Amino acid sequence: MNNLIKGRARLLGDNINTDTNCSSKYLPGKDNAYVAQHAFEKVAPAFIGNFKAGDIIVAGKNFGINSSREQAVHVMHLMGVAAIVSHSFGRQFFRNTINNGLPALECDIGGIADGDEIEIDLASGKVSVAARGIERTVPVLPPAVRAILAEGGLITFLQKYPDWKAA
Amino acid sequence: MGYTIAEKILAAHAGGSPVRAGDVVVADVDFAMMHDARAGNALKMAAKLGAKGLPFAKRTALVMDHYSPPPHIEAANTHKEMRAFAEQSGAVLYDVGDGICHQVMPEGGHLTAGDLIVGTDTHSVTYGAFNALGTGVEGTDVAAVMMTGKLWFRVPETIRIELKGKLKPGVWAKDVTLNMLGRLKAEGANYRALEYTGTGVAAMEIDDRMTLANHAAELGAKAALLEADEKTIAWLAAHKARTPKPVKADVDANYVERIEIDASALPPQVARQHNIDDVVGVPEVKGQRINFALIGTCTNGRLDDIRQAAAILNGQRIAKGVRMIVTPASREIYLAASREGLIEILTRAGASFEAAGCGTCVNVTGHLITGDGDVAISSANRNFKGRLGNDKSEIWVGSSATVAASALTGFITDPREVMGGKWVAGRAA
Ligand code: SF4
Repeated sequence: MNNLIKGRARLLGDNINTDTNCSSKYLPGKDNAYVAQHAFEKVAPAFIGNFKAGDIIVAGKNFGINSSREQAVHVMHLMGVAAIVSHSFGRQFFRNTINNGLPALECDIGGIADGDEIEIDLASGKVSVAARGIERTVPVLPPAVRAILAEGGLITFLQKYPDWKAA
Repeated sequence: MGYTIAEKILAAHAGGSPVRAGDVVVADVDFAMMHDARAGNALKMAAKLGAKGLPFAKRTALVMDHYSPPPHIEAANTHKEMRAFAEQSGAVLYDVGDGICHQVMPEGGHLTAGDLIVGTDTHSVTYGAFNALGTGVEGTDVAAVMMTGKLWFRVPETIRIELKGKLKPGVWAKDVTLNMLGRLKAEGANYRALEYTGTGVAAMEIDDRMTLANHAAELGAKAALLEADEKTIAWLAAHKARTPKPVKADVDANYVERIEIDASALPPQVARQHNIDDVVGVPEVKGQRINFALIGTCTNGRLDDIRQAAAILNGQRIAKGVRMIVTPASREIYLAASREGLIEILTRAGASFEAAGCGTCVNVTGHLITGDGDVAISSANRNFKGRLGNDKSEIWVGSSATVAASALTGFITDPREVMGGKWVAGRAA
Protein backbone atom coordinates (compact mmCIF):
# COMPACT_ATOMS: atom_id res chain seq x y z
CA MET A 1 0.00 0.00 0.00
CA ASN A 2 1.02 3.51 -0.79
CA ASN A 3 1.63 5.76 2.18
CA LEU A 4 0.45 8.78 0.21
CA ILE A 5 -3.26 8.92 -0.55
CA LYS A 6 -4.89 11.74 -2.50
CA GLY A 7 -8.55 12.13 -3.30
CA ARG A 8 -11.71 14.15 -3.13
CA ALA A 9 -13.20 14.68 0.32
CA ARG A 10 -16.76 13.43 0.64
CA LEU A 11 -18.36 14.63 3.84
CA LEU A 12 -20.59 12.71 6.24
CA GLY A 13 -21.90 13.80 9.64
CA ASP A 14 -21.54 12.64 13.25
CA ASN A 15 -22.48 9.28 14.77
CA ILE A 16 -22.92 7.36 11.52
CA ASN A 17 -23.79 3.75 12.19
CA THR A 18 -22.27 1.72 9.37
CA ASP A 19 -24.31 -1.37 10.31
CA THR A 20 -27.47 0.48 9.33
CA ASN A 21 -25.93 2.54 6.53
CA CYS A 22 -23.39 0.31 4.91
CA SER A 23 -24.23 -3.36 5.52
CA SER A 24 -27.09 -5.75 4.89
CA LYS A 25 -27.92 -6.08 8.58
CA TYR A 26 -31.38 -4.74 7.86
CA LEU A 27 -31.44 -5.92 4.24
CA PRO A 28 -31.21 -9.69 4.61
CA GLY A 29 -30.29 -11.46 1.41
CA LYS A 30 -28.95 -8.33 -0.33
CA ASP A 31 -25.39 -8.64 -1.56
CA ASN A 32 -22.52 -6.19 -1.11
CA ALA A 33 -22.94 -4.80 -4.63
CA TYR A 34 -26.53 -3.80 -3.83
CA VAL A 35 -25.56 -2.28 -0.49
CA ALA A 36 -22.70 -0.35 -2.14
CA GLN A 37 -25.23 1.35 -4.42
CA HIS A 38 -27.35 2.49 -1.50
CA ALA A 39 -24.76 3.19 1.17
CA PHE A 40 -25.47 6.13 3.48
CA GLU A 41 -28.70 6.92 1.62
CA LYS A 42 -30.63 7.30 4.85
CA VAL A 43 -28.30 9.92 6.35
CA ALA A 44 -27.13 11.68 3.17
CA PRO A 45 -29.42 11.02 0.18
CA ALA A 46 -27.12 12.69 -2.38
CA PHE A 47 -23.92 11.06 -1.09
CA ILE A 48 -23.75 7.83 -3.02
CA GLY A 49 -24.79 9.35 -6.36
CA ASN A 50 -21.78 11.69 -6.21
CA PHE A 51 -19.31 9.19 -4.84
CA LYS A 52 -16.51 8.05 -7.16
CA ALA A 53 -13.88 5.38 -6.66
CA GLY A 54 -10.80 6.99 -5.13
CA ASP A 55 -12.78 9.46 -3.00
CA ILE A 56 -12.00 9.85 0.68
CA ILE A 57 -14.73 9.77 3.32
CA VAL A 58 -14.41 12.67 5.76
CA ALA A 59 -16.73 12.14 8.70
CA GLY A 60 -17.57 13.69 12.06
CA LYS A 61 -17.55 12.13 15.50
CA ASN A 62 -17.91 8.39 16.10
CA PHE A 63 -17.90 7.16 12.51
CA GLY A 64 -18.89 3.48 12.45
CA ILE A 65 -20.43 3.63 15.89
CA ASN A 66 -22.24 0.51 17.13
CA SER A 67 -20.95 -1.24 14.08
CA SER A 68 -19.41 -4.61 14.35
CA ARG A 69 -19.90 -6.04 10.88
CA GLU A 70 -16.78 -6.00 8.80
CA GLN A 71 -19.10 -6.27 5.83
CA ALA A 72 -19.32 -2.46 6.05
CA VAL A 73 -15.62 -2.25 5.14
CA HIS A 74 -16.06 -4.81 2.33
CA VAL A 75 -18.82 -2.60 0.96
CA MET A 76 -16.59 0.49 1.18
CA HIS A 77 -13.91 -1.36 -0.79
CA LEU A 78 -16.52 -2.04 -3.48
CA MET A 79 -17.41 1.65 -3.50
CA GLY A 80 -13.72 2.38 -3.98
CA VAL A 81 -13.26 4.35 -0.76
CA ALA A 82 -9.55 5.25 -0.69
CA ALA A 83 -9.39 6.16 2.99
CA ILE A 84 -11.47 7.53 5.86
CA VAL A 85 -10.61 10.59 7.90
CA SER A 86 -12.86 11.05 10.89
CA HIS A 87 -12.93 13.01 14.12
CA SER A 88 -13.24 9.64 15.91
CA PHE A 89 -14.29 6.06 15.14
CA GLY A 90 -16.42 3.37 16.73
CA ARG A 91 -14.02 0.87 18.28
CA GLN A 92 -15.00 -2.25 16.39
CA PHE A 93 -15.33 -0.42 13.10
CA PHE A 94 -11.79 0.91 13.44
CA ARG A 95 -10.51 -2.64 14.03
CA ASN A 96 -12.33 -3.80 10.95
CA THR A 97 -10.77 -1.10 8.75
CA ILE A 98 -7.26 -2.25 9.72
CA ASN A 99 -8.11 -5.94 9.36
CA ASN A 100 -9.50 -5.30 5.90
CA GLY A 101 -6.81 -2.96 4.66
CA LEU A 102 -8.71 0.33 4.56
CA PRO A 103 -6.64 3.26 5.90
CA ALA A 104 -8.53 5.17 8.59
CA LEU A 105 -7.15 8.17 10.44
CA GLU A 106 -8.44 10.12 13.40
CA CYS A 107 -8.15 13.83 12.72
CA ASP A 108 -9.86 17.14 13.38
CA ILE A 109 -11.93 17.69 10.23
CA GLY A 110 -12.87 21.34 10.89
CA GLY A 111 -12.67 23.53 7.77
CA ILE A 112 -12.68 20.66 5.27
CA ALA A 113 -15.53 21.00 2.75
CA ASP A 114 -17.23 18.49 0.49
CA GLY A 115 -15.28 18.15 -2.74
CA ASP A 116 -11.96 19.44 -1.38
CA GLU A 117 -8.80 17.77 -2.67
CA ILE A 118 -7.33 16.12 0.40
CA GLU A 119 -3.99 14.42 0.90
CA ILE A 120 -3.04 11.89 3.55
CA ASP A 121 0.47 10.74 4.41
CA LEU A 122 0.23 7.60 6.54
CA ALA A 123 3.96 7.44 7.21
CA SER A 124 4.29 10.92 8.67
CA GLY A 125 0.71 11.27 9.95
CA LYS A 126 -0.25 14.31 7.86
CA VAL A 127 -3.68 15.31 6.63
CA SER A 128 -3.74 18.34 4.35
CA VAL A 129 -6.00 20.37 2.09
CA ALA A 130 -3.57 22.60 0.21
CA ALA A 131 -6.26 24.87 -1.29
CA ARG A 132 -7.38 25.86 2.19
CA GLY A 133 -3.97 25.97 3.82
CA ILE A 134 -4.97 23.09 6.12
CA GLU A 135 -2.14 20.88 7.30
CA ARG A 136 -2.74 18.75 10.38
CA THR A 137 -0.44 16.30 12.06
CA VAL A 138 -2.00 13.25 13.70
CA PRO A 139 -0.36 10.41 15.62
CA VAL A 140 0.97 7.89 13.10
CA LEU A 141 -0.55 4.43 13.24
CA PRO A 142 1.70 2.04 15.19
CA PRO A 143 4.08 -0.02 13.01
CA ALA A 144 2.26 -3.30 13.82
CA VAL A 145 -0.94 -1.81 12.44
CA ARG A 146 0.73 -0.27 9.40
CA ALA A 147 2.27 -3.62 8.57
CA ILE A 148 -1.23 -5.17 8.44
CA LEU A 149 -2.53 -2.30 6.32
CA ALA A 150 0.46 -2.55 4.01
CA GLU A 151 -0.45 -6.16 3.20
CA GLY A 152 -4.05 -5.23 2.47
CA GLY A 153 -5.49 -6.66 5.68
CA LEU A 154 -5.02 -9.31 8.33
CA ILE A 155 -5.82 -12.36 6.18
CA THR A 156 -3.22 -11.54 3.53
CA PHE A 157 -0.81 -10.43 6.26
CA LEU A 158 -1.04 -13.81 8.02
CA GLN A 159 -0.78 -15.71 4.75
CA LYS A 160 2.58 -14.01 4.34
CA TYR A 161 3.65 -13.80 8.01
CA PRO A 162 1.97 -16.69 9.87
CA ASP A 163 4.11 -15.92 12.94
CA TRP A 164 2.95 -12.27 13.00
CA LYS A 165 6.51 -11.11 12.40
CA ALA A 166 6.58 -8.74 9.45
CA ALA A 167 10.06 -8.91 7.96
CA MET B 1 3.15 4.69 38.17
CA GLY B 2 1.29 1.37 38.46
CA TYR B 3 -0.83 -0.57 35.99
CA THR B 4 -4.53 -1.18 35.37
CA ILE B 5 -6.07 -4.64 35.08
CA ALA B 6 -6.30 -4.29 31.28
CA GLU B 7 -2.64 -3.29 31.01
CA LYS B 8 -1.56 -6.22 33.18
CA ILE B 9 -3.64 -8.85 31.38
CA LEU B 10 -2.46 -7.69 27.96
CA ALA B 11 1.18 -7.50 29.11
CA ALA B 12 1.02 -11.02 30.52
CA HIS B 13 -0.31 -12.30 27.19
CA ALA B 14 2.14 -10.35 25.02
CA GLY B 15 5.38 -11.75 26.34
CA GLY B 16 5.45 -10.29 29.82
CA SER B 17 7.04 -6.88 29.36
CA PRO B 18 4.96 -4.01 30.75
CA VAL B 19 2.58 -2.28 28.37
CA ARG B 20 0.77 1.04 28.64
CA ALA B 21 -2.53 2.35 27.33
CA GLY B 22 -2.09 3.29 23.68
CA ASP B 23 0.48 0.57 22.89
CA VAL B 24 -0.38 -1.97 20.22
CA VAL B 25 0.54 -5.56 21.09
CA VAL B 26 0.21 -9.00 19.55
CA ALA B 27 -1.07 -11.18 22.39
CA ASP B 28 -1.90 -14.84 23.05
CA VAL B 29 -5.65 -15.42 23.24
CA ASP B 30 -6.89 -18.03 25.73
CA PHE B 31 -10.25 -18.76 24.12
CA ALA B 32 -12.40 -17.42 21.28
CA MET B 33 -16.07 -17.49 20.45
CA MET B 34 -18.15 -17.00 17.33
CA HIS B 35 -21.94 -17.04 17.19
CA ASP B 36 -24.30 -17.83 14.37
CA ALA B 37 -24.96 -14.22 13.36
CA ARG B 38 -21.27 -13.83 12.45
CA ALA B 39 -20.23 -17.40 11.75
CA GLY B 40 -21.01 -17.10 8.04
CA ASN B 41 -18.41 -14.37 7.62
CA ALA B 42 -15.95 -15.85 10.16
CA LEU B 43 -15.94 -19.27 8.47
CA LYS B 44 -15.38 -17.62 5.09
CA MET B 45 -12.32 -15.85 6.52
CA ALA B 46 -11.17 -19.09 8.19
CA ALA B 47 -11.46 -20.88 4.85
CA LYS B 48 -9.08 -18.34 3.33
CA LEU B 49 -6.52 -19.26 6.00
CA GLY B 50 -7.48 -22.93 6.03
CA ALA B 51 -4.57 -24.26 3.97
CA LYS B 52 -2.21 -23.73 6.87
CA GLY B 53 -4.55 -25.44 9.30
CA LEU B 54 -6.39 -24.01 12.26
CA PRO B 55 -4.67 -25.58 15.27
CA PHE B 56 -6.36 -23.22 17.74
CA ALA B 57 -9.91 -24.00 16.59
CA LYS B 58 -10.08 -26.37 19.57
CA ARG B 59 -10.01 -23.31 21.79
CA THR B 60 -12.97 -21.74 20.01
CA ALA B 61 -16.65 -22.13 20.80
CA LEU B 62 -19.27 -21.94 18.04
CA VAL B 63 -22.66 -20.94 19.43
CA MET B 64 -26.08 -21.05 17.77
CA ASP B 65 -27.98 -18.49 19.80
CA HIS B 66 -29.20 -15.61 17.67
CA TYR B 67 -31.09 -17.65 15.08
CA SER B 68 -32.50 -19.88 17.72
CA PRO B 69 -34.50 -21.47 16.21
CA PRO B 70 -33.47 -20.52 12.65
CA PRO B 71 -36.22 -18.40 11.05
CA HIS B 72 -35.06 -18.88 7.45
CA ILE B 73 -33.08 -21.23 5.23
CA GLU B 74 -30.01 -18.97 5.20
CA ALA B 75 -29.71 -19.30 9.01
CA ALA B 76 -30.42 -23.03 8.97
CA ASN B 77 -27.65 -23.45 6.41
CA THR B 78 -25.24 -21.40 8.54
CA HIS B 79 -26.03 -23.79 11.40
CA LYS B 80 -25.26 -26.76 9.18
CA GLU B 81 -21.95 -25.17 8.24
CA MET B 82 -21.11 -24.54 11.92
CA ARG B 83 -21.85 -28.14 12.88
CA ALA B 84 -19.67 -29.43 10.06
CA PHE B 85 -16.82 -27.04 10.87
CA ALA B 86 -16.85 -28.00 14.56
CA GLU B 87 -16.80 -31.67 13.67
CA GLN B 88 -13.83 -31.28 11.37
CA SER B 89 -11.79 -28.69 13.33
CA GLY B 90 -12.42 -29.83 16.90
CA ALA B 91 -14.08 -26.53 17.86
CA VAL B 92 -16.54 -26.66 20.76
CA LEU B 93 -20.15 -26.58 19.55
CA TYR B 94 -23.23 -25.20 21.31
CA ASP B 95 -26.36 -26.06 19.37
CA VAL B 96 -29.79 -24.39 19.25
CA GLY B 97 -31.29 -24.31 22.75
CA ASP B 98 -28.00 -24.59 24.64
CA GLY B 99 -27.95 -20.90 25.39
CA ILE B 100 -26.52 -17.47 24.66
CA CYS B 101 -22.81 -17.32 23.86
CA HIS B 102 -21.98 -15.08 26.84
CA GLN B 103 -23.66 -17.52 29.21
CA VAL B 104 -22.36 -20.80 27.82
CA MET B 105 -18.77 -19.50 27.63
CA PRO B 106 -18.36 -19.15 31.41
CA GLU B 107 -20.74 -22.03 32.22
CA GLY B 108 -18.73 -24.30 29.94
CA GLY B 109 -15.58 -23.48 31.91
CA HIS B 110 -13.94 -21.88 28.87
CA LEU B 111 -12.56 -18.87 30.71
CA THR B 112 -10.91 -18.07 34.00
CA ALA B 113 -9.60 -15.07 35.93
CA GLY B 114 -6.71 -13.33 34.18
CA ASP B 115 -7.65 -14.67 30.73
CA LEU B 116 -7.73 -12.85 27.42
CA ILE B 117 -10.88 -13.82 25.50
CA VAL B 118 -12.35 -12.61 22.21
CA GLY B 119 -15.79 -13.16 20.70
CA THR B 120 -17.62 -11.97 17.59
CA ASP B 121 -19.98 -9.90 19.69
CA THR B 122 -19.79 -6.57 21.51
CA HIS B 123 -21.19 -8.13 24.69
CA SER B 124 -18.06 -10.29 25.00
CA VAL B 125 -17.18 -7.73 27.69
CA THR B 126 -19.34 -9.93 29.97
CA TYR B 127 -16.31 -12.11 30.78
CA GLY B 128 -14.87 -9.21 32.76
CA ALA B 129 -17.22 -10.27 35.56
CA PHE B 130 -14.74 -13.12 36.08
CA ASN B 131 -11.65 -10.89 35.88
CA ALA B 132 -11.06 -11.99 32.27
CA LEU B 133 -10.46 -9.39 29.58
CA GLY B 134 -13.23 -10.19 27.12
CA THR B 135 -13.67 -8.05 24.05
CA GLY B 136 -15.67 -7.99 20.83
CA VAL B 137 -14.01 -8.65 17.48
CA GLU B 138 -15.09 -9.75 13.98
CA GLY B 139 -14.78 -12.83 11.82
CA THR B 140 -11.31 -12.04 10.48
CA ASP B 141 -10.05 -11.74 14.05
CA VAL B 142 -11.44 -15.09 15.14
CA ALA B 143 -10.07 -16.72 12.00
CA ALA B 144 -6.65 -15.28 12.87
CA VAL B 145 -6.93 -16.63 16.42
CA MET B 146 -7.92 -20.10 15.19
CA MET B 147 -4.85 -20.12 12.97
CA THR B 148 -2.22 -18.52 15.22
CA GLY B 149 -3.64 -18.38 18.75
CA LYS B 150 -2.83 -14.66 18.72
CA LEU B 151 -4.37 -11.31 17.88
CA TRP B 152 -3.39 -7.64 17.81
CA PHE B 153 -4.81 -5.31 20.44
CA ARG B 154 -4.53 -1.64 21.29
CA VAL B 155 -4.11 -1.38 25.06
CA PRO B 156 -7.12 0.63 26.29
CA GLU B 157 -7.21 3.53 28.73
CA THR B 158 -9.27 2.72 31.82
CA ILE B 159 -12.09 4.45 33.70
CA ARG B 160 -12.39 3.39 37.33
CA ILE B 161 -15.91 3.25 38.75
CA GLU B 162 -16.32 2.77 42.46
CA LEU B 163 -19.68 1.68 43.87
CA LYS B 164 -19.81 2.95 47.44
CA GLY B 165 -22.19 1.36 49.91
CA LYS B 166 -24.53 -1.41 48.77
CA LEU B 167 -27.51 -1.49 46.49
CA LYS B 168 -30.82 -1.43 48.39
CA PRO B 169 -33.13 -4.45 48.09
CA GLY B 170 -35.03 -4.24 44.82
CA VAL B 171 -32.16 -2.42 43.09
CA TRP B 172 -29.77 -4.40 40.88
CA ALA B 173 -26.68 -4.14 38.72
CA LYS B 174 -28.89 -3.20 35.75
CA ASP B 175 -29.90 -0.05 37.60
CA VAL B 176 -26.20 0.81 37.98
CA THR B 177 -25.43 0.28 34.31
CA LEU B 178 -28.46 2.32 33.22
CA ASN B 179 -27.37 5.08 35.58
CA MET B 180 -23.88 4.96 34.06
CA LEU B 181 -25.41 5.22 30.57
CA GLY B 182 -27.32 8.30 31.71
CA ARG B 183 -24.06 9.83 32.96
CA LEU B 184 -21.54 8.91 30.25
CA LYS B 185 -24.09 8.49 27.42
CA ALA B 186 -24.09 5.71 24.83
CA GLU B 187 -20.56 5.06 23.52
CA GLY B 188 -19.27 7.48 26.17
CA ALA B 189 -16.52 4.99 27.03
CA ASN B 190 -15.55 4.23 23.41
CA TYR B 191 -12.09 2.52 23.17
CA ARG B 192 -11.85 2.43 26.99
CA ALA B 193 -11.83 -0.30 29.58
CA LEU B 194 -13.90 0.07 32.73
CA GLU B 195 -12.91 -1.22 36.15
CA TYR B 196 -15.83 -1.66 38.54
CA THR B 197 -14.81 -1.81 42.17
CA GLY B 198 -15.99 -1.05 45.71
CA THR B 199 -18.27 -2.50 48.38
CA GLY B 200 -21.25 -2.34 46.03
CA VAL B 201 -19.54 -4.75 43.62
CA ALA B 202 -18.25 -7.03 46.38
CA ALA B 203 -21.82 -7.44 47.67
CA MET B 204 -23.15 -8.52 44.28
CA GLU B 205 -23.70 -12.14 43.35
CA ILE B 206 -22.06 -13.46 40.17
CA ASP B 207 -25.26 -13.17 38.12
CA ASP B 208 -25.51 -9.47 38.89
CA ARG B 209 -21.79 -8.92 38.27
CA MET B 210 -22.25 -10.41 34.80
CA THR B 211 -24.97 -7.82 34.13
CA LEU B 212 -22.62 -5.08 35.32
CA ALA B 213 -19.87 -6.16 32.91
CA ASN B 214 -22.22 -7.06 30.05
CA HIS B 215 -24.03 -3.75 29.78
CA ALA B 216 -20.73 -1.86 29.46
CA ALA B 217 -21.03 -2.70 25.75
CA GLU B 218 -23.62 0.07 25.35
CA LEU B 219 -21.08 2.49 26.81
CA GLY B 220 -18.82 1.47 23.94
CA ALA B 221 -16.33 -0.11 26.34
CA LYS B 222 -13.65 -2.44 25.04
CA ALA B 223 -13.65 -4.34 28.33
CA ALA B 224 -15.31 -4.11 31.75
CA LEU B 225 -13.20 -5.66 34.46
CA LEU B 226 -13.96 -6.72 38.01
CA GLU B 227 -11.46 -8.14 40.47
CA ALA B 228 -11.75 -11.81 41.39
CA ASP B 229 -12.80 -12.58 44.98
CA GLU B 230 -13.86 -15.78 46.77
CA LYS B 231 -17.23 -15.75 45.02
CA THR B 232 -15.50 -15.59 41.63
CA ILE B 233 -13.03 -18.33 42.46
CA ALA B 234 -15.78 -20.61 43.84
CA TRP B 235 -17.95 -20.05 40.76
CA LEU B 236 -15.07 -20.79 38.39
CA ALA B 237 -14.17 -23.94 40.30
CA ALA B 238 -17.80 -25.12 40.24
CA HIS B 239 -17.73 -24.76 36.44
CA LYS B 240 -14.39 -26.54 36.06
CA ALA B 241 -12.59 -23.51 34.66
CA ARG B 242 -8.79 -23.55 34.35
CA THR B 243 -6.78 -22.40 37.39
CA PRO B 244 -7.56 -18.71 38.03
CA LYS B 245 -4.74 -16.16 37.71
CA PRO B 246 -6.43 -13.19 39.43
CA VAL B 247 -5.21 -9.76 38.35
CA LYS B 248 -5.62 -6.65 40.49
CA ALA B 249 -4.95 -3.04 39.55
CA ASP B 250 -2.09 -1.26 41.31
CA VAL B 251 -3.16 1.43 43.78
CA ASP B 252 -1.26 4.01 41.74
CA ALA B 253 -2.57 2.80 38.38
CA ASN B 254 -3.19 5.46 35.77
CA TYR B 255 -6.90 6.08 35.06
CA VAL B 256 -8.32 8.53 32.55
CA GLU B 257 -11.29 9.11 34.81
CA ARG B 258 -12.56 8.12 38.25
CA ILE B 259 -16.27 7.96 38.98
CA GLU B 260 -17.94 7.32 42.33
CA ILE B 261 -21.52 6.16 42.65
CA ASP B 262 -23.38 6.03 45.96
CA ALA B 263 -24.95 2.61 45.38
CA SER B 264 -27.10 2.83 48.51
CA ALA B 265 -28.88 5.94 47.21
CA LEU B 266 -29.74 4.57 43.76
CA PRO B 267 -33.43 3.91 42.93
CA PRO B 268 -34.41 1.50 40.11
CA GLN B 269 -33.66 3.06 36.72
CA VAL B 270 -35.30 2.80 33.35
CA ALA B 271 -34.19 3.84 29.85
CA ARG B 272 -37.04 5.52 28.00
CA GLN B 273 -38.05 4.56 24.48
CA HIS B 274 -35.50 4.59 21.64
CA ASN B 275 -32.42 5.79 23.55
CA ILE B 276 -30.52 3.62 26.00
CA ASP B 277 -28.95 6.73 27.55
CA ASP B 278 -32.25 8.53 28.14
CA VAL B 279 -32.40 7.26 31.70
CA VAL B 280 -34.65 8.25 34.61
CA GLY B 281 -35.45 6.80 38.04
CA VAL B 282 -38.47 4.49 37.86
CA PRO B 283 -40.24 6.55 40.59
CA GLU B 284 -40.30 9.49 38.15
CA VAL B 285 -42.22 7.56 35.49
CA LYS B 286 -45.95 7.97 36.01
CA GLY B 287 -48.78 6.27 34.17
CA GLN B 288 -46.68 4.72 31.38
CA ARG B 289 -48.68 1.80 30.01
CA ILE B 290 -46.99 -1.35 28.67
CA ASN B 291 -48.19 -4.19 26.43
CA PHE B 292 -45.22 -6.54 26.45
CA ALA B 293 -42.82 -7.61 29.18
CA LEU B 294 -39.61 -9.45 28.26
CA ILE B 295 -37.17 -11.12 30.58
CA GLY B 296 -34.08 -12.67 29.09
CA THR B 297 -30.99 -11.84 26.97
CA CYS B 298 -27.31 -11.94 27.88
CA THR B 299 -27.88 -8.90 30.09
CA ASN B 300 -30.64 -10.23 32.36
CA GLY B 301 -31.67 -13.79 31.52
CA ARG B 302 -29.91 -15.50 34.42
CA LEU B 303 -31.26 -17.43 37.38
CA ASP B 304 -31.28 -14.42 39.73
CA ASP B 305 -33.27 -12.48 37.14
CA ILE B 306 -35.86 -15.24 36.90
CA ARG B 307 -35.94 -15.41 40.70
CA GLN B 308 -36.64 -11.67 40.88
CA ALA B 309 -39.57 -12.06 38.51
CA ALA B 310 -40.91 -15.10 40.36
CA ALA B 311 -40.71 -13.31 43.72
CA ILE B 312 -42.90 -10.55 42.34
CA LEU B 313 -45.36 -12.73 40.43
CA ASN B 314 -45.68 -15.63 42.88
CA GLY B 315 -49.41 -16.35 43.27
CA GLN B 316 -50.25 -13.33 41.10
CA ARG B 317 -51.44 -12.86 37.56
CA ILE B 318 -49.94 -10.38 35.10
CA ALA B 319 -52.19 -7.49 34.02
CA LYS B 320 -54.88 -8.14 31.46
CA GLY B 321 -53.70 -7.40 27.93
CA VAL B 322 -50.01 -7.80 28.76
CA ARG B 323 -47.96 -10.52 27.05
CA MET B 324 -44.91 -11.69 28.98
CA ILE B 325 -42.05 -13.80 27.63
CA VAL B 326 -39.21 -15.29 29.64
CA THR B 327 -36.15 -16.65 27.83
CA PRO B 328 -33.51 -18.24 30.08
CA ALA B 329 -29.98 -17.40 28.99
CA SER B 330 -28.99 -21.07 28.92
CA ARG B 331 -30.26 -24.61 29.19
CA GLU B 332 -28.55 -24.87 32.61
CA ILE B 333 -30.47 -21.83 33.83
CA TYR B 334 -33.71 -23.24 32.46
CA LEU B 335 -33.11 -26.46 34.40
CA ALA B 336 -32.19 -24.64 37.61
CA ALA B 337 -35.30 -22.46 37.31
CA SER B 338 -37.34 -25.60 36.81
CA ARG B 339 -35.85 -27.26 39.91
CA GLU B 340 -36.70 -24.19 41.97
CA GLY B 341 -40.30 -24.17 40.75
CA LEU B 342 -39.85 -20.77 39.09
CA ILE B 343 -41.12 -21.92 35.73
CA GLU B 344 -44.38 -23.06 37.29
CA ILE B 345 -44.78 -19.77 39.20
CA LEU B 346 -44.18 -17.61 36.13
CA THR B 347 -46.21 -19.78 33.77
CA ARG B 348 -49.17 -19.69 36.16
CA ALA B 349 -48.77 -15.93 36.37
CA GLY B 350 -49.32 -15.74 32.61
CA ALA B 351 -45.77 -15.70 31.22
CA SER B 352 -44.58 -18.03 28.48
CA PHE B 353 -41.13 -19.57 28.38
CA GLU B 354 -38.97 -19.91 25.32
CA ALA B 355 -36.03 -22.19 24.67
CA ALA B 356 -32.72 -20.71 25.85
CA GLY B 357 -31.05 -18.31 23.43
CA CYS B 358 -31.09 -14.66 22.46
CA GLY B 359 -34.86 -14.92 22.21
CA THR B 360 -36.70 -11.64 21.78
CA CYS B 361 -33.64 -9.43 22.31
CA VAL B 362 -33.71 -8.39 18.71
CA ASN B 363 -36.15 -9.15 15.94
CA VAL B 364 -34.42 -12.10 14.29
CA THR B 365 -36.65 -15.05 15.08
CA GLY B 366 -39.91 -13.15 14.61
CA HIS B 367 -41.22 -14.47 17.94
CA LEU B 368 -42.33 -11.06 19.07
CA ILE B 369 -43.83 -8.66 16.61
CA THR B 370 -45.14 -5.55 18.30
CA GLY B 371 -48.12 -3.67 16.89
CA ASP B 372 -48.14 0.04 16.05
CA GLY B 373 -48.09 2.08 19.23
CA ASP B 374 -47.31 -0.92 21.46
CA VAL B 375 -44.93 -0.46 24.35
CA ALA B 376 -42.56 -3.19 25.53
CA ILE B 377 -40.54 -3.17 28.72
CA SER B 378 -37.51 -5.38 28.43
CA SER B 379 -34.58 -6.57 30.51
CA ALA B 380 -32.39 -6.42 27.37
CA ASN B 381 -29.53 -4.03 26.70
CA ARG B 382 -30.68 -1.97 23.72
CA ASN B 383 -33.89 -0.23 22.81
CA PHE B 384 -33.32 1.64 19.59
CA LYS B 385 -36.29 2.25 17.37
CA GLY B 386 -37.32 -0.87 15.54
CA ARG B 387 -35.14 -3.34 17.47
CA LEU B 388 -38.23 -5.51 17.85
CA GLY B 389 -39.13 -5.10 14.19
CA ASN B 390 -41.64 -2.24 14.32
CA ASP B 391 -40.37 1.31 14.48
CA LYS B 392 -43.85 2.50 15.38
CA SER B 393 -43.58 0.77 18.76
CA GLU B 394 -41.51 1.57 21.85
CA ILE B 395 -39.04 -0.37 23.97
CA TRP B 396 -38.20 0.66 27.51
CA VAL B 397 -35.38 -1.06 29.39
CA GLY B 398 -35.08 -1.92 33.08
CA SER B 399 -34.06 -4.67 35.50
CA SER B 400 -35.92 -7.98 35.56
CA ALA B 401 -37.58 -6.87 38.78
CA THR B 402 -38.85 -3.69 37.13
CA VAL B 403 -40.06 -5.68 34.11
CA ALA B 404 -41.95 -8.16 36.32
CA ALA B 405 -43.48 -5.41 38.47
CA SER B 406 -44.60 -3.63 35.30
CA ALA B 407 -46.09 -6.83 33.89
CA LEU B 408 -48.06 -7.19 37.10
CA THR B 409 -49.62 -3.74 37.02
CA GLY B 410 -49.59 -3.03 33.28
CA PHE B 411 -47.68 0.21 33.94
CA ILE B 412 -43.98 0.87 34.43
CA THR B 413 -43.69 0.17 38.12
CA ASP B 414 -41.06 0.40 40.87
CA PRO B 415 -40.50 -3.20 41.97
CA ARG B 416 -40.20 -2.08 45.58
CA GLU B 417 -43.81 -0.97 45.53
CA VAL B 418 -45.40 -4.32 44.74
CA MET B 419 -45.90 -7.26 47.03
CA GLY B 420 -42.91 -9.58 46.71
CA GLY B 421 -40.75 -6.78 45.40
CA LYS B 422 -39.15 -5.78 48.68
CA TRP B 423 -36.60 -8.59 49.14
CA VAL B 424 -36.61 -7.99 52.90
CA ALA B 425 -35.28 -11.46 53.58
CA GLY B 426 -32.25 -11.26 51.33
CA ARG B 427 -31.09 -10.22 47.91
CA ALA B 428 -32.71 -12.73 45.64
CA ALA B 429 -36.05 -14.37 46.43
S1 SF4 C 1 -28.95 -11.69 23.92
FE1 SF4 C 1 -29.13 -9.92 22.56
S2 SF4 C 1 -27.37 -8.64 22.98
FE2 SF4 C 1 -26.97 -10.65 23.88
S3 SF4 C 1 -25.80 -11.76 22.33
FE3 SF4 C 1 -27.96 -12.23 22.01
S4 SF4 C 1 -28.74 -10.72 20.51
FE4 SF4 C 1 -26.76 -9.98 21.32
